[in-house]
Amino acid sequence: MKQIKLLNALPEVFVQREDICSDVWLKDLCFERGSHYLIEAASGVGKSSLCSFIYGNRGDYRGEILFDDKDISRFSEREWITLRNSNLSMLFQDLRLFSELTAMENVRLKNDLTHFKGSASIVALFEELSIADKMDIPVAKLSFGQQQRVAFIRSLCQPYNFIFLDEPISHLDSANSAIIADIVMREATEQGASIIATSIGQSLSLPYDYTLKL
Amino acid sequence: MNLLWKLLREHISLSQLVGFFVSNLIGTVIILLTIQVYADIRPIFKSGDSFLGDNYIIVSKRVTAVGTLLGGDLSFSGDEIEELEEADFTTSVGSFTSSKFGAYISLRMPDTGQGISSDIFFESVPNEYIDVKSRKWRFDAEDGRIPIIMPRNYLNLYNFGFSQSQGLPAVSEGIISKINLDVYLSGNGHNDKFKANIIGFSDRLNTILAPEEFMTWANSRYSDEPASPPTRLVLAVNNPTDEAIVKLFDERGYVVENNKLDDGKIAYFMRMVIYAVLSIGLFISALSLYILMLSIFLLLEKNSKKLENLTLIGYSVAQISRPYRRLTSMINLSIFALAMVVVYILRHIYIGIINTLYPEAVLPSMLTTLLVGGALVAVIIIFNNFIILRKVKSIRR
Repeated sequence: MKQIKLLNALPEVFVQREDICSDVWLKDLCFERGSHYLIEAASGVGKSSLCSFIYGNRGDYRGEILFDDKDISRFSEREWITLRNSNLSMLFQDLRLFSELTAMENVRLKNDLTHFKGSASIVALFEELSIADKMDIPVAKLSFGQQQRVAFIRSLCQPYNFIFLDEPISHLDSANSAIIADIVMREATEQGASIIATSIGQSLSLPYDYTLKL
Repeated sequence: MNLLWKLLREHISLSQLVGFFVSNLIGTVIILLTIQVYADIRPIFKSGDSFLGDNYIIVSKRVTAVGTLLGGDLSFSGDEIEELEEADFTTSVGSFTSSKFGAYISLRMPDTGQGISSDIFFESVPNEYIDVKSRKWRFDAEDGRIPIIMPRNYLNLYNFGFSQSQGLPAVSEGIISKINLDVYLSGNGHNDKFKANIIGFSDRLNTILAPEEFMTWANSRYSDEPASPPTRLVLAVNNPTDEAIVKLFDERGYVVENNKLDDGKIAYFMRMVIYAVLSIGLFISALSLYILMLSIFLLLEKNSKKLENLTLIGYSVAQISRPYRRLTSMINLSIFALAMVVVYILRHIYIGIINTLYPEAVLPSMLTTLLVGGALVAVIIIFNNFIILRKVKSIRR
């Protein structure tokens, strides 16, 4: 997948609004593979909606969203499953971890599908993010910041052309934020992928090609 | 342990599953046992007479002393036949045709040379009422071989009466079927010899039955008398226990031959009981399956957030639903296997009773039950899989 295009897109809930002033909504916008994007947003302007639309779990928008010129509203379940396992990776703002599984099990649940990373490289990522001692602890018992790092590792366990990071460092200190930035840059470069990060304040420090206001 | 299973087994209600297991086991045992019992006792009621179906009855007029003295007519008139044809309980009526020529039969034992001979008669009914393979039940004048069906009573009369008193050997049905009988037919200036074969014995046909085409041919060759009205009729009826039959027959003074109607009645009642019990079994099974589906649906609803998240990290509906489909399939297969064991044990008990009452009965195997049960469980598993897949599809985002 090389391009994600938004053509005059707008969440249904904003249809009545007349004060839309955005680089994304109601514009023709193209995310190109290989470039990195930062989407800055205030609360309530549809940041998570944008991620959900592009990831296919919501369809309540006007306009068109195209992947390589194909309208995503017509994709079948099978096509979405393929995309989510080999083209699109998502670090959800609400993480979507399984609280009864351990940190490692949460990561393995994804990696069992893709077989993308070996056990050693997964453990290495836990170590790099300073949560190696938390691998076998149920996620429910971890802090949100620790859970955020577990979800981040999970998002790396697949091939992708675009990786979406929805507020990836909202609960992390600057040291851990820097580690995440390093890792995601390294991994995305390896895959020739785009990073699209969102932020409502503190943003992931990366060499972005474009910064967009939502 | 499989991570997906670890995740999805949460909220599984053991008590609901046990409830389903027990109730469905009861339902399945009832269904399979009913099928097995039916398969086991059916041959007892059908034994020995496959020439005439359960729904055929043979009707004649009652012979009374007054009738005999006054020379009463025992034949059925056209109006009477028409009345029977038009009765609601009748599906069709066939007439017996009697021979109008002289017939003489001679039987000689191959080993001893001893034999018996007698004047006989023949009767025929339309071929559609006789359930014999057409190859055997055919007459060709050039071939000169007449297939006949004998009343079983005749053989018993010979074996237990005549042969004992004359020092002749008793013969089995198998042996006598292989013996060639010489039949001499005469009348209308013709005199011919034929070979005859007994192709079977009947408990219900109290006559010497020959094929319809033989009777037509022989009556025209050896007799110039016009066809006389039949004295016996064979009736195909929907339900031999229909009260309307008894009522009409009483009014008209008709009798059902051999009172073999009872066998038909027993077979009919047996079928009714079997259907009733089978329906109860099916009802219990269907109800328990409904409980299982409700239980699984409840489970899916409780786990709906997980199902949604699994879809978002890339699991397909087929993958997510697999643990549940596997669970229900395993439960259903276990129930089927256990039900077969229970039926096997119960059969062991009742088979002793059957053997005591009917020592000569040859009981069938459990294959039919196994096949029917197997087909049933396959249908249930396919149905369960389909429903679960559809439900998961409706829950995921």
